[in-house]
Amino acid sequence: MSKAISKATGQFSETAIDDEIVVMHLVSGEFFSLTGTGRELWLLIDGSRNRDAILAAAAAQYGAQPAEIAGDVDAFLAKIGAAGFLDAN
Amino acid sequence: MPHCPDPSTAEALLARETELRYGPVPAELDGTEVGQSEYYLTNEAYLLRADGLSFLYRKGEGITVERTTGADFSEESLWLNGSVYAAIASINGFKPIHASAVAYQGEVFAFTGPSGAGKSTLIAGLGNLGLPMFCDDTLVLDLSDPAAIICLPGHKRLKLTPEALALTGAAQEERVGVMIDKFYARPPAGEVGLPLPLGRLIFLEEGRDLAAHEITGAERFARLCDDHYTDALFASARQLDRTAQFALQARLAQQIPMTRLTRPRDLTHFAASVKLAAALVRNEGKLT
Repeated sequence: MSKAISKATGQFSETAIDDEIVVMHLVSGEFFSLTGTGRELWLLIDGSRNRDAILAAAAAQYGAQPAEIAGDVDAFLAKIGAAGFLDAN
Repeated sequence: MPHCPDPSTAEALLARETELRYGPVPAELDGTEVGQSEYYLTNEAYLLRADGLSFLYRKGEGITVERTTGADFSEESLWLNGSVYAAIASINGFKPIHASAVAYQGEVFAFTGPSGAGKSTLIAGLGNLGLPMFCDDTLVLDLSDPAAIICLPGHKRLKLTPEALALTGAAQEERVGVMIDKFYARPPAGEVGLPLPLGRLIFLEEGRDLAAHEITGAERFARLCDDHYTDALFASARQLDRTAQFALQARLAQQIPMTRLTRPRDLTHFAASVKLAAALVRNEGKLT
């Protein structure tokens, strides 16, 4: 079973504006605006869920089969991981 | 009746801190050499060396100005009301933003955009529709109350180009400076000299069609990144790290309603764009 995914707290600041979340990496200064499914996935990363649990929770939220959205979830995790918003361990 | 600030207010503090005297100004500040046409800022002091004019501010001591031979003295008040005032405001915790504003029903409606966007001309046009000026070019925000963003009354006189004077019919006063093709002008509906909460920030943009759109979500945050000079000044004076800058920007984005006002810049659309801007002010940003 894969390890739980955690945010790299201390590496970024975030704020909610209307129904969007703005996240800024404190070292690079790079901004991300998270809306819609990106916002929901971000909120599901709470340090207790691994990739499969995040996928299952997202599938339940959207009434989809995990296989249908697995590609999008993996792409999102890869993107925010590359931006330094996830713990590497 | 002139507005006399309560000595405990932000206005009184700024009035005290901008008291002026003339005398020698060194070429360095706290060990840092400052070249001609350069400035240096700390959280306590500011030194600016312009052509023939030098300005030194120290917290609690006011401003010292040194005039040297060949100075264009008509530019002195422009420096004092511009860069020097913005630096002093920043050092004392007040955030300057690049905007001109009117007041309506106890709130401030500020128009922002790059130099040449037509902020002052629009303010004069809005004066013709009965909206008094709150400030021209620089809006100073008092952020000390976490629940409200309070605007401090403008310290600058309205300045217009000859074209803007002709377009708005504003009453022309003296020329701004020997080398500056602008004139001071009387705001047609007068000025408001009391601190007021910020009601809305309106971004002026050039576009083919006249239109207004509410700015929502992350765009509100991103829009606040546009004002680089005053942002850098404030961050530097307050010694804000990236986390603190983010928190400040997030607060402003959350608390300030924003609109994008797009308009063609040709003269034939001026009256219509002023009318639309007035409608935005009078209808709390809504056009219906």
